[in-house]
Amino acid sequence: MSRPLSRAALVSSFLRSFLIQGSWNYHTMLGCGFAFALLPGLRRLYGAEAEDMASSLSRHVELFNAHPYLSGVALGAVLRLERDGADPEMVRRFKLAVRGPLGSLGDALVWATWLPTVSVLALSLFWLGAPTWLAVGAFLVIYNVGHVALRLWGFRVGLAEGRDVGRRLAEAHFSAWTNRLRAAGALLLGVLVGVILAADGGLAAAGILWVSLSVVAFLAGLWVGHRAWRPAAATVVAAVVVLTAAGLVL
Amino acid sequence: MEIAQVTVIGGLLALDGTSVGQFMLSRPLVAGAIIGWLLGAPGLGLTVGAMLELYLLVSFPTGGSRFPEGATATVVAVASAAGSVTPGALPIGVAVGLVWGQLGGISISGLRHVNARLVPEPTREPRGPGHVTAAHLGALLLDFLRGAVVTLSGVLVGRAVVENFGGAWSLTSGASLGLLLVGGAVSAGILLRDLGGFRRRRILLVAGMALGILGARFL
Repeated sequence: MSRPLSRAALVSSFLRSFLIQGSWNYHTMLGCGFAFALLPGLRRLYGAEAEDMASSLSRHVELFNAHPYLSGVALGAVLRLERDGADPEMVRRFKLAVRGPLGSLGDALVWATWLPTVSVLALSLFWLGAPTWLAVGAFLVIYNVGHVALRLWGFRVGLAEGRDVGRRLAEAHFSAWTNRLRAAGALLLGVLVGVILAADGGLAAAGILWVSLSVVAFLAGLWVGHRAWRPAAATVVAAVVVLTAAGLVL
Repeated sequence: MEIAQVTVIGGLLALDGTSVGQFMLSRPLVAGAIIGWLLGAPGLGLTVGAMLELYLLVSFPTGGSRFPEGATATVVAVASAAGSVTPGALPIGVAVGLVWGQLGGISISGLRHVNARLVPEPTREPRGPGHVTAAHLGALLLDFLRGAVVTLSGVLVGRAVVENFGGAWSLTSGASLGLLLVGGAVSAGILLRDLGGFRRRRILLVAGMALGILGARFL
């Protein structure tokens, strides 16, 4: 039944993985996007065999979730398994087994560490008075070098290892990378705090009241964590409303 | 014409948030620079973008969670404040942007419920590859329209609010910046907690602060 996967089909599936979250929903999550990204490969494998194609598609629109940057690991592995004519039930179990790890590894490495670390670097450049192109350009280039490299690595690992991707994921030492990045992020966060305090027109120039309130706010965030974010944003919005109203009345 | 351009840019940047690529063009710092340049106010765009980036440092587009939408928040904030010379333009623009970021997050959740009806039902075989492609591209189009509508409504409301109340703002520009940074400091605290906490990272944090102060003084 199967034919080799062409380079064009693989490139097309990889490029489609950039759209994998396009139909994210609370019923099948990434399911439809996953099937959409697989389509070029499935077309190549099943050609005009409409029944096999429909059967494969119905398996792949099922519930699936992963971090989008690491979804290529599952995509590549499933293409490999489909090419090898693997048992459909085994492919289903494989997807079920990898979706948790691919989500949690990606969330910890990318969303909770890489993104804020590069953001803090770019914000430090902004507060240091760097030109727009440098602050924004540094953010986009540095972030996306890591982003695209991770997607490429994942897709290639999936294709090369098939159902044995777990070994390569373990060898990649995601936790160690995340810890190193967190240390770098903490250093850069310190730089940002120092720059905002001492820059011309920064927090120190606003006066001791605002420095004191900022310290209290920083400690609130540190102690209470994410539960503090929405109340803090709501407090700032309320303060803006109250101060504007005061200006109208006085 | 300008408002149409802002609406389209808002829709396109919203797509980058989760649906297309996630190259982080939708992050406030980048979105602020883009929309500021488009509106002829690059300095304001970058300032608003940097402020909202600080607020949203700990807001991630994770799968099923509801998160404030940075792209529409920034486009709304910059477009609301641009063109106004009133002292309250910046803080009121940022405040409206924060509110619209939350509304954007709610609209994303709503769209995900709509998408659940749009995508092929796993218990029934899809009608073929075209069915999957149409459902997926249809959802992308809906996300663009959602982002555009959220942006347009935010800009219309934001401009009206800035125009009517911007002149009544009672703080100096320095104090306004201080107020906005108080909110941003909460995010910085949460981020330090995410990065390992004060006890574990105190040496790096203090070393970084020293470097930052030296950099601000001598660069």
